[in-house]
Amino acid sequence: MKNVLAVLKKEFARFFRDKRLVVGTLILPGLLIFVLYTVLGSVIYSPAESYTVLAVRPSAAFSALLDESSFTVTEIGEEEIGEAKKEVLGGSADLLAVFPENFDDLLSEGGFAPVGQAPNVELWYDSSSVSSSSAYSAAAAALDALEEGVSNRFDVNISAGGDLVSAAEAEASYFAMLLPFLILTFLYSGCMGIAPESIAGEKERGTIATLLVTPIKRSELVIGKILSLSALSALSAVGSFIGTFLALPRLAGGSIGDALSAYSVGEYFALFAVMISAVLIIVSLISMLSAYAKSVKEAASLCVPLMIVVMLIGISTMFFTTSAPAVFLIPVYNCVQVMAEIFSLRFSALHLLIALASNLVYIALLVWALTKMFKSEKVVFNR
Amino acid sequence: MEETPAEVYERREIVRAEGIRKTFSLSRKQRLIEKSKEKKKVALDGLSFTAYEGEIYGLLGPNGAGKTTMLRILATLIRPDAGDAYVAGHSVLKEADKVRASIGFLTSELKLEDFFTPSYLFDFFGKLHGMEGAALARRKEELFAKFGIDRFAEVKVGDLSTGMKQKASIAVSIIHDPSVIIFDEPTNGLDVLTAKTVTDFLQEAKAQGKSILLSTHIFSLVEKLCDRVGVIIGGRMAAEGTLAEVSGGKPLEDAFFDIYKRTVTGV
Ligand SMILES: Nc1ncnc2c1ncn2[C@@H]1O[C@H](COP(=O)(O)OP(=O)(O)O)[C@@H](O)[C@H]1O
Ligand SMILES: [Mg+2]
Repeated sequence: MKNVLAVLKKEFARFFRDKRLVVGTLILPGLLIFVLYTVLGSVIYSPAESYTVLAVRPSAAFSALLDESSFTVTEIGEEEIGEAKKEVLGGSADLLAVFPENFDDLLSEGGFAPVGQAPNVELWYDSSSVSSSSAYSAAAAALDALEEGVSNRFDVNISAGGDLVSAAEAEASYFAMLLPFLILTFLYSGCMGIAPESIAGEKERGTIATLLVTPIKRSELVIGKILSLSALSALSAVGSFIGTFLALPRLAGGSIGDALSAYSVGEYFALFAVMISAVLIIVSLISMLSAYAKSVKEAASLCVPLMIVVMLIGISTMFFTTSAPAVFLIPVYNCVQVMAEIFSLRFSALHLLIALASNLVYIALLVWALTKMFKSEKVVFNR
Repeated sequence: MEETPAEVYERREIVRAEGIRKTFSLSRKQRLIEKSKEKKKVALDGLSFTAYEGEIYGLLGPNGAGKTTMLRILATLIRPDAGDAYVAGHSVLKEADKVRASIGFLTSELKLEDFFTPSYLFDFFGKLHGMEGAALARRKEELFAKFGIDRFAEVKVGDLSTGMKQKASIAVSIIHDPSVIIFDEPTNGLDVLTAKTVTDFLQEAKAQGKSILLSTHIFSLVEKLCDRVGVIIGGRMAAEGTLAEVSGGKPLEDAFFDIYKRTVTGV
């Protein structure tokens, strides 16, 4: 036990005294995620633009359908049409709408005319300009709605109807899909940043042999390494999370804080337990790959296929969820499923227990296997 | 210098190797380097020898003879394919932990982490040997002063000179004041001053009653330090005895080449 602590302390010292490691694994990933998500968010959800519509004989019914806050409709005379087209092309206006005479009266009269003979609304726009195209789409949609209103047989979702899921639930199921994937990915990449260096690196540099000639038991060394690497991976994942939390509202529109307040203390406890078991399994797996590899480089490349598998398992909840208890025996997948259940407010204590118990067995097996590897000269000295 | 049977009887065995065999399987790259088509390399071919308490025993042999392999087996880093060895009465196969606790082992293969200072590493390895607090601090002061590491105690190992690194390695290897010291080519690659520090240390350790096993291909080192010698050639013990017995009245170098010729030509 003392030896485990000594190894733990040394691994922490190795990490925290190295500015490059601290910045590279604790701060940089979170910062990158924050910047990336914020930039992405501002591209996807650019603030509502304002459009300038020039209209000949503007229609009150049409203007009423447009969003007042973003559309300004300016009346112009028929003689200014040529000038207005130039303005649309030049970008100082987004759309030119020419309404026929008495357009609003036509709407209230109803009636029918074959295509080509009915009164025509002209919409002039510049397809090479994003804002002009958007203004055109909005105007065309408004006109379609007006046309339907003229020959109305039925409405859709006007007086009743809508999304059956409440906003909170929708947000919850959104995070149920996204969060397990993010958690797993952050844990994995955090571990990938330190475990190869700590195990394959020590092998490569010959410093592990110095440890192995002391009376320390191989199992103590393995446990010390796994515990310290798990704690550091978790810390690195926390760094990535802070970045995500700060940036997600900009990316997804909603507030992750609101979504997170939906869960009880017990659910958070369950989440914590499941995440710990996930960290330990991931760290043990990466440690085994690192112990097997001859160099840090080789270890890093061995980690990539496993990373793809773990990420695929992470997004599996987006495609199917199941509640068959046997599923919760599958390592990593069971963590994702339990996390998804918690995030989508369908927490099951039985599933949690099955997952934790089976993970405990896997972790014990992995530690045992890793100890075997550390005892094998073929593994430790395979240069 | 004949010894009486009584004297032989009184000496306690401290290291005994019995019929040690070790075969390495060679990777393709290693086969290219060794220019050999064989997939296996017999490094030790039934090696046996005995070193007694309180003496300096030298394993003498050319490069590739199997010296390092033998010492790695004694340090329990690798396991023999056949045979067993005993260090201070403990089997390397069955009581590896106890063997490791009773030896101070040094070979170029054991490196100290560049990132840490000698002082930090000394404390770390001291703890792994079950040392703590005042005892550990006293031992550090003593060894750092002896090897002149004190001025460099807080300099990262990566920034130390080769000689200073070797001295730090020696200090770390004997933190726990082991009764058996096993050093592999301890003066290799060192400047004369550092080499002298090492040989002085070994003589001093012997004077304190430690048992020492060292390997080398340097005749003068054996002549200077060793009480008894085992000549290893091709993984086998070609000759063993006191320095005087093995030399047979000639300079050790001449005696070695006689033994070498006899062994290789099989006469
Ligand atoms: N890990 C290894 N893999 C393959 N061959 C090895 C390995 N270690 C040692 N050998 C071979 O075993 C023989 C003995 O090596 P070694 O014990 O290092 O000799 P010495 O220390 O006497 O120079 C050499 O031929 C060497 O190439
Ligand atoms: Mg050697």
